[in-house]
Amino acid sequence: MTTPLTLIPGHQPDGSPLLTVVGEIDMTNTGALAEALDGTEGSLVVDLTAVEYLDSAGLSVLFAHADRIELVATPLLGPILTVSGLAELTTVHGLTAEGPAGDR
Amino acid sequence: MARSEDAGHHERAAGAGAGVFAADAEVGRDLARVDWSATPLGPPDRWPQSLQTAVSILLSSRFPMWMAWGEELTFFCNAAYRRDTLGQKYPWALGRPAGEVWREIWGDIGPRIDTVMTTGEATWDEALLLFVERSGYTEESYHTFSYSPLRDDDGTVVGMLCVVSEETERVIGERRMTTLRDLGSDPSVVRTEQEILAFADQQLSGNPQDLPFTLTYLFQPDGSAKLAGCNGMSSGHPAAPAVLPPGEGVWPAAEAAGGESLLVPLDGPPFSGLPAGSWAKPPTQALVTPLLRQGDTPYGFLVAGLNPFRVLDDGYRGFVELLAGHLSTGVASARSYEAQQRRAEELAELDRAKTTFFSNISHEFRTPLTLIMGPLEELRTRFADGDRRVREELDVVHRNGLRLGKLVNTLLDFSRIEAGRMQATYEPVDLPALTGELASVFRSAVEKAGLVYDVDCPPLDEPVFLDRGMWEKVVLNLVSNALKFTFDGSIRIAVRTEGSHAVVTIADTGIGVAADEVPRLFERFHRIENARSRSNEGSGIGLALVKELIGLHGGTITADSTEGEGTRFTIRLPFGTAHLPTASVAPARDTRTVSSADPYVQEALRWLPDEDGTGAGGGVPPVPPTGADTSPDRATGPAVTARVLVADDNADMRDYLTRILTGAGYRVDTVEDGAQALEAVRAQAPDLVISDVMMPELDGLSLVAELREDPRTASVPALLLSARAGQEASIEGLQAGADDYLVKPFAAAELLARVRANMELARLRNHQARWRAALVDSLQEAFFVCDENGAVIEINAAFTDILGYGPEGLPYQPIHPWWPDAETDAAAHDQVAAAFSQLVGDAKGSYSIPVTHQDGHRVWVTAMFSEAQDPDTGSQVIVGTFRDVTAEHYAIQRESAQAALGMRVSRAASLPEALTGALAELKDLWSARRVLAVVRGQGQEPEVTSTDPDLTWEMLSAERREEFTGWLEQPPLTAVSDAKGAGITVNHPEGPMVLHVTLGENRPFTDEDQLLLSLMAGQLAQALARAHQIDQQRETAIALQRAILGPSHLPEGFAVRYEPATRPLEVGGDWYDTVALPDGRIGIVVGDCVGHGLQAATVMGQLRSACRALLLQDASPARTLMALDHFAAGIPGALCTTVFCGVLDPGTGELTYSSAGHPPGILTHPDGTTTLLEEGRSIPLAVRPGRHRPEAGCTVPARATLLLYTDGLVERRSRPLTAGIDQASEAVQDGREAAVDDLATQVMTRLAPANGYDDDVALLLYRHPAPLEMSFPAESSQLAPVRKALRSWLGQCELPPHMVQSVLVAAGEACANAVEHGHRDAPGETVRLRAEAHAGALHLTIADSGRWKQPQPHLNTHRGRGVGLMHALMQRVTITAGTTGTIVDMHTRIA
Repeated sequence: MTTPLTLIPGHQPDGSPLLTVVGEIDMTNTGALAEALDGTEGSLVVDLTAVEYLDSAGLSVLFAHADRIELVATPLLGPILTVSGLAELTTVHGLTAEGPAGDR
Repeated sequence: MARSEDAGHHERAAGAGAGVFAADAEVGRDLARVDWSATPLGPPDRWPQSLQTAVSILLSSRFPMWMAWGEELTFFCNAAYRRDTLGQKYPWALGRPAGEVWREIWGDIGPRIDTVMTTGEATWDEALLLFVERSGYTEESYHTFSYSPLRDDDGTVVGMLCVVSEETERVIGERRMTTLRDLGSDPSVVRTEQEILAFADQQLSGNPQDLPFTLTYLFQPDGSAKLAGCNGMSSGHPAAPAVLPPGEGVWPAAEAAGGESLLVPLDGPPFSGLPAGSWAKPPTQALVTPLLRQGDTPYGFLVAGLNPFRVLDDGYRGFVELLAGHLSTGVASARSYEAQQRRAEELAELDRAKTTFFSNISHEFRTPLTLIMGPLEELRTRFADGDRRVREELDVVHRNGLRLGKLVNTLLDFSRIEAGRMQATYEPVDLPALTGELASVFRSAVEKAGLVYDVDCPPLDEPVFLDRGMWEKVVLNLVSNALKFTFDGSIRIAVRTEGSHAVVTIADTGIGVAADEVPRLFERFHRIENARSRSNEGSGIGLALVKELIGLHGGTITADSTEGEGTRFTIRLPFGTAHLPTASVAPARDTRTVSSADPYVQEALRWLPDEDGTGAGGGVPPVPPTGADTSPDRATGPAVTARVLVADDNADMRDYLTRILTGAGYRVDTVEDGAQALEAVRAQAPDLVISDVMMPELDGLSLVAELREDPRTASVPALLLSARAGQEASIEGLQAGADDYLVKPFAAAELLARVRANMELARLRNHQARWRAALVDSLQEAFFVCDENGAVIEINAAFTDILGYGPEGLPYQPIHPWWPDAETDAAAHDQVAAAFSQLVGDAKGSYSIPVTHQDGHRVWVTAMFSEAQDPDTGSQVIVGTFRDVTAEHYAIQRESAQAALGMRVSRAASLPEALTGALAELKDLWSARRVLAVVRGQGQEPEVTSTDPDLTWEMLSAERREEFTGWLEQPPLTAVSDAKGAGITVNHPEGPMVLHVTLGENRPFTDEDQLLLSLMAGQLAQALARAHQIDQQRETAIALQRAILGPSHLPEGFAVRYEPATRPLEVGGDWYDTVALPDGRIGIVVGDCVGHGLQAATVMGQLRSACRALLLQDASPARTLMALDHFAAGIPGALCTTVFCGVLDPGTGELTYSSAGHPPGILTHPDGTTTLLEEGRSIPLAVRPGRHRPEAGCTVPARATLLLYTDGLVERRSRPLTAGIDQASEAVQDGREAAVDDLATQVMTRLAPANGYDDDVALLLYRHPAPLEMSFPAESSQLAPVRKALRSWLGQCELPPHMVQSVLVAAGEACANAVEHGHRDAPGETVRLRAEAHAGALHLTIADSGRWKQPQPHLNTHRGRGVGLMHALMQRVTITAGTTGTIVDMHTRIA
């Protein structure tokens, strides 16, 4: 049984591609996430605002596409994105406004 | 000759080289005169600049220098060098080759110059000895110099410069000073002449340079000179004859004797082959110097061989004279010392001879005198009425005997005075009365001589301190002297006071003394020749003795005399005692009558014309009529024939004594010396021993001492005869233990009287002694007498009964044979030694000691003693009695030991404690090294309890274990023993036991000890059984209590404790309980029933069950307690029980509670503050059944701790309850970071009183939220639910949101690892997760049963990243991988 995860492909108001992720990302469902990412080409914004849990398994998927994705996240994910170093490779939106990203 | 005599040449040269030599006018001029063209250097105007400069520097320097230049090393020098060193070689040396100038030392300096010239390196020499010829002879000289190269204009070494300082004076001066100093360093103050000269020779030999040899001759009385010292030369040399006869010989002794110093050339024999000292050739001259003596001819002379390389200048001569002076002083002091020494020895020898002589006189004269005077008395008595002629002759003999005795006594007085042994006793005396009395004995004689006798002695104001005996001699001598030399006129005796002196004058109108004889009047043995006197007899010592005796009184005597007119003696005696030795001053005694006048008067009467021819007549005191009683036939002989032992080495004396004593009816045995006497007395004790003092082998004093030493002969009376008169002699005799002392000469009658008296006394004493012995023997108690050293000298029959030692062994010297052996029984020995020191040290006292009977058995005695004085000897003795207290002693010992054991055992709280205590008691009792109990209980191996706490059965040796195993088979109370100690078998509640006492060294285990051990073992067995019984009861009660107490499964987050009271160890009525309620809440109860013991425990059990049931029915604390009120009212003993009852929601921490008189709960917040749960409180149970109870609510905050307890935790005597509550609060605060179960232990430990809780305690702790514990299969599908549960628990912990996420991720990574790696080979194994919150920290543990791999990021990037995340997100991560699984411990502080 995999952890429920919702992946919503979409577009930004400017028309660029967007992937909205909802739920918890752990080793049971990273496959789905990877598939979703692999299915896109070019730059992509991944919206993790509704992600409540992200562990190293999910991070590895994101690291694999780090050069072409931008992330949107809540401060809840700030520490993990920061300590993993992912925030250094990709642009992460939504951390600084709330504070936790400012902990850097 | 290079120096030019040619003036023209000189002018030219001077002209040419004027500039070069200008620096020194004089030497420059002489240099300028040198015909330089004849030298390799050529004329100065052609000299290279370098040479010119060098010469210029040389000349301008004031330091002594010379230089050499060119192929011949042409010589230059400056003025300073000329002055100090060159001497007569100047100016000849200038311009000559250096090798020619210093030809004689070229061997020394040539090589050095070569070195400089070839190497260009400078040389340095310090005080180098060089034999130069600069003063017409080869001279010892010393130089400190440096050669340095001189270079020409090209820099080639072409010459050398020598800078030199002449050190000859310094070196030689120091050398001589050293010799003089060494001579004066003689460490001994005074020595013999020989030693002083030998020492001097040794010191002089240290300077072979200045003194190649020395000879010391001392003049002899015959005018010859004797060789007394010799240095550097063998004494057999012809130049050193042992004796120089007067007026001849190799050395000019006569001139030296005249005080002259003489220089002697040492040419030809006998001076050939003289020693050379440190030189290559011998001296050519010697200086003969007299050893001068102040105001007299010299002691001798010193011959000093002179250094051939120095001239005899003033310094050298002075040096030799100082040496001679030194030797004179040494000889003078040695001779004066020797003379003094000799004089002192001669004087001492003279004194010794004199003293010996006078002492011998005593014996040599007195013994024959006795033998003359004794029989003479008998004869005179026998012939009293007989032939007149015979009588007259006997009187002559008698008188002369008296005279001789007087003379001997006078001489003895001298010898005593000389030896300082004159024993004077100065007492206050009425001088006029005594003098008048003494004078009066001459009255008849004086008047018979037809002289006027004027005795004018009016009383004085104060007494004069006199020795009566001495004063008697003074007056008697002077008066008899006056009578002797006075033929007409008068003799006048007067006493007066003059200032601070009493003055006694004795004046006569006799022949007088010539003026030149007056000063010698008081000289010993001086007699005035041809003086007319009444008698020619006289020794000439009377006046000398008088002077000495008066001197002893601090007085003076002078004589005034005019020849033909008379003589007056004036004696002046100081009043008071200041001038007398304090020890000799005594209070006035009874005046004695004149005692020694008889010989004087008898003698004086003989000088006078004899009218009737009887000699003794008129008022003259008659010879003591002792003879009357001495005739044997009239003697009152002893009733029973008594035995007298006579010891004397003089056969005449033996015979004489035998005759007297036999005549008096005694049986007499004679022996010749003390040793024989001792033997004879020991063989058969006589009734009296008469012994001479002076005897070979063993003298009389020693004989008496030996007799007194031996108890068998101690009571034999002894009478000593001695020629030595005087008090000190008799005191010595009496001190030695003699019963009486008789001085020779003695009268037979006196001897017999003394013999009789002593026999009587002895008989009386023996009678008393027998009485005393009978009395003492009849005593029931042992009786003993010790001398002052502690030797037992007398005992009675009871003593022998108790100790086994009889009188035959007396005296018993300490250490007495009954002392316990120091080797085998040290403690008892020490005890006796202590008592002994008390015995000899204290005046009286008592003690109880263990002693050893002669047959070896132990006896305890209690002794009392006190000091006493032996009436016979006057010595200090110790008299004591003792009785046998052995039985009492052991009875007391047993009683006290048993009491102590009982006390110790009754105090014990448990069986092991009782046994341990008993062992300690036994160890003390026997001062044992170790006491051991071995019990064969239920276990495989016997149990060991020992006073050595660490000892175990395994530690015992195999033989020892076997021994004990054997003993354990024995029936109870069987005594066992081995080399180390003794033991006994005892019944222990758990099985047979052997009790073993290992004794200290030298401590025997007696039968009494064995008996005591048996008694104590019996007592111990009973005590152990009792302790065991009590133990069992207690164990039952505690087991019961624990059984009823508490839930079998405690909910998470709780910790509980129950502790029974320590002393007396009893269960009580405290309890705690938790009840899982149907709605998920938890009921919490802590209660305390009144009282202790099983009764209270029973009540507690009922209340506890009731409370549980009520809570399950209705989860309201207040209503539960109200219902419990009714219940408790029906249970006896439940009244007044206090209860805290609460209901807790473990999810929210909400707590409702009600308290029935129970101490408030303590709530400790994460920040350390505390709140007391003081609401909802009412009265204890069953006091008012039916009464409403309040209920209160509160929320236990996240990470807070709740403490509930019974009053045993906090209640202490004399301390308010609040203090205890505060203390408990602090303990919880301090432990808020500890796990809750650890905290429970901490609180119980911290609040425990030193001796344990004296009331029972129940304690319950809860920390909110309870730890999260989850177990799940290692499957990835579990990750989300686990995460959810954890998220929820973290919410209960009230953590900041970001922290929740971090903990979730970290825990998630650990779980993912467990699932992915730990169990990929065996999926479905269990993973356990535990999370626990303390006040300020979180702890998480994720454990699986698999193995992790070390992170390998290159192989598996995201897994490696997972571990990295854990470390990044938590404060501490510990991963412990073992064979049984992997545990991840994570810790983070709550910020």
